[in-house]
Amino acid sequence: MRAGFGIEKRSTTSWLWQAATGILLLPLLALHLIANHFVVAGGERNFAEVAACMGNPAIVVLEVLFLVVVTSHAMLGLRSILFDMGVPTRWRPALGRGVAILGVLTVAYGIWLTITIIR
Amino acid sequence: MKVAEEAAPGLRRPSRWLDLRGRHEGAWAYALNRLTAIGLIAYLYVHLGVLSLLAHGPSTWNSFLATTKAPFFTALDAVVLLGVLFHSLNGIRVVLTGVGVAVRWHRLLFRSLMALAAILFLVAGLLWSIRG
Amino acid sequence: MTAESVAVDLEVLRYRPGEGSRLENFSVQVAKGTKVLDALDAIWATLDHSLMFRRACHHSSCGACAMRINGRERLACVTQVAEAAEEHQPIRVEPLHNLPVVGDLVVDVAGFFARMTASDLVITRSAEPELPVSVDPLPASLSLRQVVVPEDLDRFIRFESCIECGICVSVCPSMAADDGFLGPAALAGIHRTREATGDATESAHLLALADGDGGVWRCHSSFECTASCPQAVDPAGRIMSLRGQILARRWGRMWGR
Repeated sequence: MRAGFGIEKRSTTSWLWQAATGILLLPLLALHLIANHFVVAGGERNFAEVAACMGNPAIVVLEVLFLVVVTSHAMLGLRSILFDMGVPTRWRPALGRGVAILGVLTVAYGIWLTITIIR
Repeated sequence: MKVAEEAAPGLRRPSRWLDLRGRHEGAWAYALNRLTAIGLIAYLYVHLGVLSLLAHGPSTWNSFLATTKAPFFTALDAVVLLGVLFHSLNGIRVVLTGVGVAVRWHRLLFRSLMALAAILFLVAGLLWSIRG
Repeated sequence: MTAESVAVDLEVLRYRPGEGSRLENFSVQVAKGTKVLDALDAIWATLDHSLMFRRACHHSSCGACAMRINGRERLACVTQVAEAAEEHQPIRVEPLHNLPVVGDLVVDVAGFFARMTASDLVITRSAEPELPVSVDPLPASLSLRQVVVPEDLDRFIRFESCIECGICVSVCPSMAADDGFLGPAALAGIHRTREATGDATESAHLLALADGDGGVWRCHSSFECTASCPQAVDPAGRIMSLRGQILARRWGRMWGR
């Protein structure tokens, strides 16, 4: 350690994950927007159309993948924004865990909703 | 004489990323990236919340759809799309320059990507109006 | 005052610990074609001896007079009064951001230099102390390397150009948010030291430092440091280059190289 600056690595892979999820989001988000909002009359599907759409396993897999990737990207971003708000270093691990829990809950909610719609 | 700032004027202030006076386009890109990020995170939860109406059955969802025809929702969609286009295309700049690609041409890259964002926005508007 | 002098209005941020800060207006007469630093000198000499500001060389070589002029970080010694007055009336002069203010326009640069020390950058050339001190012609035995100017001169940016003025630290949005960030100048210093050193251990340590919590991944790619650097050091370019080197090393390690 020199002059108070260390080589500890607690969060340096975050940038890479943020970049990777961001790249993955480009095709996933484009697909989501085009398939669900642009090629659909009125921009939204009615209940019967949603149910029919979610009957296709490939669409379900893609939508869940989209949910996981978009939530990961959002949570990494949220964590970065919160850290940049001047949060004391000692609080960062707890804040990071809190954001991770929020992400897990978000994905769990999305999967629950998907299962409910399919049924 | 007037009071300009609080004590210790030069100390760190996390909100400084929003102060763009005298800054160049890179700082604008960063600030807009943050603002769109905050907006899109909020929209993610609004979107997931709205989708919960699907769990209440066909009548709830279909009657909700009828309300989304209001101009307010079209305007909201346009704002979200602008945010998505800016955040996605600026993200390409951040990732490319972040791994050492096109670092010297980051300004040109940013301007080109923003031109692409404008074109995509216009195309989306055109598709939107054709689809009805 | 001669006929060549012009009146200049400035509003200068005044600060003393415990007294808060305020903008104070001054009007001074300065020679035509003069610089903002000269106007501050005139304020100090003729109006207010208590005005604190730092200066030394007066020709953009020492970095001491870096400050915010009309909201933009610049060296006061090379900023024309006429140009600054055209931008904003009165010319607003404030201390650098992201460094503690000692008083008025003087910031505490201890943290900046602690970061530069961490980068292990030695700007003084090792050959210099060996040069003769006398004014006699250089002895014929002293061979001086011929300087070859590369064809693509715009890419030939020497980090030694860094005058440690602190402007890159003031403009950096990551510095504003994170006390643990090494910052543009120190990271550019690490990049330069790694270019210059032949010591593998030193080189590996510096790359680990750049890859650490206070390192290159805290940069938000605003490129403000490069855009504002008065000496074209290109800290952002060097930060991105370090990222490339770190990724190459990680990739190599992944495959056992």
